Amino acid sequence: MGSSRVLFDIQLDEWEAETGVRPIQLASAGASPLPIFHDVVNNTDFKGTILVGVTPGLFFSTTYPEASPWKRAQTRADYYKNRTYAQRLNHWLSLPLQKSLVFVSTSEEGWTDDIDLKSLLNNINSGNRTGKPQYPPFNAFAYIEEDRNNPMSEKTATDTAFANSIKEAWKFIILGNKNPPEREATTNFFLVDAKKFIERGGNLILLRCPSSGWIKGGEDKFLSREEFWDPLVKATNAKAYYFEDYDQFKNLECPEWSHLSAPDARFFTTELVRIMKADGALSNSKTN
Amino acid sequence: MLFNSLSFIVFLVIVLALYYSKLFNWTGKKRMLLFASYVFYGLWNPPLVILLWISTGVDWITGKKLSVEENQKKRKLWLLLSMCVNLGFLGFFKYGNFLLENFTHLMNSIGVEYQAQPMDIILPMGISFYTFQTMSYTIDMYLKRTERAKTFLDFALYVTFFPQLVAGPIVRAGDLISQFYEEKRATINQFIWGTFLLTIGLFQKVVLADTLLSDTSDQVFGAKGVLSGLDAWTGTLAFSGQIFFDFAGYSTCAIGIALMLGIILPDNFRYPYAAIGFSDLWRRWHISLSTWLRDYLYIPLGGNKHGVLRMYVALMVTMLLGGLWHGAAWTFVIWGALHGIYLVIERLLRNKIHIKINAINGIFLALLTYTLVNFTWVFFRAREFSTAKNMITSMLFMNGDGEKLLQSFDILKVFVLITLLFICHWVMRNTSMEEVSKKTSPWILGIGWAVMFFLIAIAQGSGEQFIYFQF
Repeated sequence: MGSSRVLFDIQLDEWEAETGVRPIQLASAGASPLPIFHDVVNNTDFKGTILVGVTPGLFFSTTYPEASPWKRAQTRADYYKNRTYAQRLNHWLSLPLQKSLVFVSTSEEGWTDDIDLKSLLNNINSGNRTGKPQYPPFNAFAYIEEDRNNPMSEKTATDTAFANSIKEAWKFIILGNKNPPEREATTNFFLVDAKKFIERGGNLILLRCPSSGWIKGGEDKFLSREEFWDPLVKATNAKAYYFEDYDQFKNLECPEWSHLSAPDARFFTTELVRIMKADGALSNSKTN
Repeated sequence: MLFNSLSFIVFLVIVLALYYSKLFNWTGKKRMLLFASYVFYGLWNPPLVILLWISTGVDWITGKKLSVEENQKKRKLWLLLSMCVNLGFLGFFKYGNFLLENFTHLMNSIGVEYQAQPMDIILPMGISFYTFQTMSYTIDMYLKRTERAKTFLDFALYVTFFPQLVAGPIVRAGDLISQFYEEKRATINQFIWGTFLLTIGLFQKVVLADTLLSDTSDQVFGAKGVLSGLDAWTGTLAFSGQIFFDFAGYSTCAIGIALMLGIILPDNFRYPYAAIGFSDLWRRWHISLSTWLRDYLYIPLGGNKHGVLRMYVALMVTMLLGGLWHGAAWTFVIWGALHGIYLVIERLLRNKIHIKINAINGIFLALLTYTLVNFTWVFFRAREFSTAKNMITSMLFMNGDGEKLLQSFDILKVFVLITLLFICHWVMRNTSMEEVSKKTSPWILGIGWAVMFFLIAIAQGSGEQFIYFQF
């Protein structure tokens, strides 16, 4: 679980190939992992392995339920619990259709390149009446699969202009966020659940996925490892992996500064699992 | 289950296939429809089907007793039982928290320290609709206005008939139960017309309400600050369109689906935004509720038979309760009160000013009515009085430096759509879609149908719930 970095960078096929276990992808883009972790710890008796991605800007963002990073995650947890049988049925009925037919591109995120009627109308530019900064084009740059495996699109990795448009969107979002991180509140909130999970025999692993360029620079400056990651790891006392600590990950470049391309994500997952197994963080449960 | 969902399409295809197959006789078909209706409702929250069963059971027994009982006192007691059960459900599930909240406020305001935990109550979908429908049966039985349902199956199907179960039209027993007595099959023309109505209803809901209007309305009514007059008007007009298309869309779907089964449901909307005055509006907007309130509340309260003052009181009480029927909040009461006041003023003026309506003054009066209706929608949509107050002052252009929230295209989109809506209602106000379709070339109808279908397809609705489900 985590934010979009775990969603992009942990590829389920590779994980399964290395461990023999297909993981459940619970990471959610633009969201804090705290509500989902809290939900799993407090509302289930799961005591297997949980890999929690720490994207500093989101992990340490907030514990306020109405704030976007929290709400985006919490609404998904709530939906899982509260969905009606009709909604489940809709989902199951839609799967064969989605596999067999070509659909008009659309998503709940409202990407700029969606071509449903609402998105098409929203893209009509009639000047800026409000005088407020306008969101730059933000196009879909990944494909999410049935089991939430989410590789980056090839276009993002190969088309620099396209990747640059995503970078502009990141700049707009990050520079537009005036809320300071809530390091203590988020760390403390997480620690309570982490302790509970570990005490019941759960295996908690923390992961800092790669970032690069302008975003990495900003993270190093404002959400530095020493001030945010290290104290969290120390207090949690869980196995923790920071990408820069490993030679094979040091030079990974994120095409749009924040996520790995699909081939790099596959490499990252495979190598990471091997490191974790060698480290004893993951048991070698693979059977042939 | 929502009409605008994949599961409903599959559900409807199965129901139609079974209905028109030779597997069942008419009783078997009715049983199948009843079972399908429970599935339709239960797929949302299975345990709440029990409420439907209780309501059905109590009112069936009440109806049975009322059909034979001559003792007036006992008849009253049976009626009271039905009212207590149905209004009790409504009171507990819909108004429980509202009553508790207001009781707490009252206690605190008189200096009594009292705090109560809000109750965690699920609002059963469509409870206001089916309780009102089934109550109309027992009241009509009590007043000897309708015959007792011949069989329990007919009665249960009347209470639970899936096309209109959760958001109406609220159908009277006399209009629906008797249709179940003999086998019904839609003619080819009825079936095609029913499918056409279903498409129009979905088009209204998915394309017009959810895709073109809801965002603007949500954005404006969700704003924290004070808005400019243009933004406030745009948001309110957008909501006026959204609520019409959402609710009329549901009713049109319901009528269409029933027609595909050969069952005729009454109209629920007749181009209300072309209404000239408020009496006319309530003859055109949510007709099945307004006639219910007229027959079971306004007239028993005295109606216009006991003098002017009593009539005005009856009118106000009816509209206040009508407002509260829509939701457990004071904003809905104010919405009802405004409509009550409008109706009272209209009646006062009608006695003093006599206007012969023609095309020119008619359209002016219709516009005036629509403008005044929009002020009431503010209270209907706003979740808090502070929002409503800000909106009203902005709409009266009293907030000169209000925030500009919407982009020019959003404003243009809403004004174009609402203008078209108003023109359409004005042109259609004295006719019906069926009448017009008979005079229209099948080619044009076919093209219109295809365009609607295409727009529904590219709108890719995300299965938004109908607004009236919560009432």
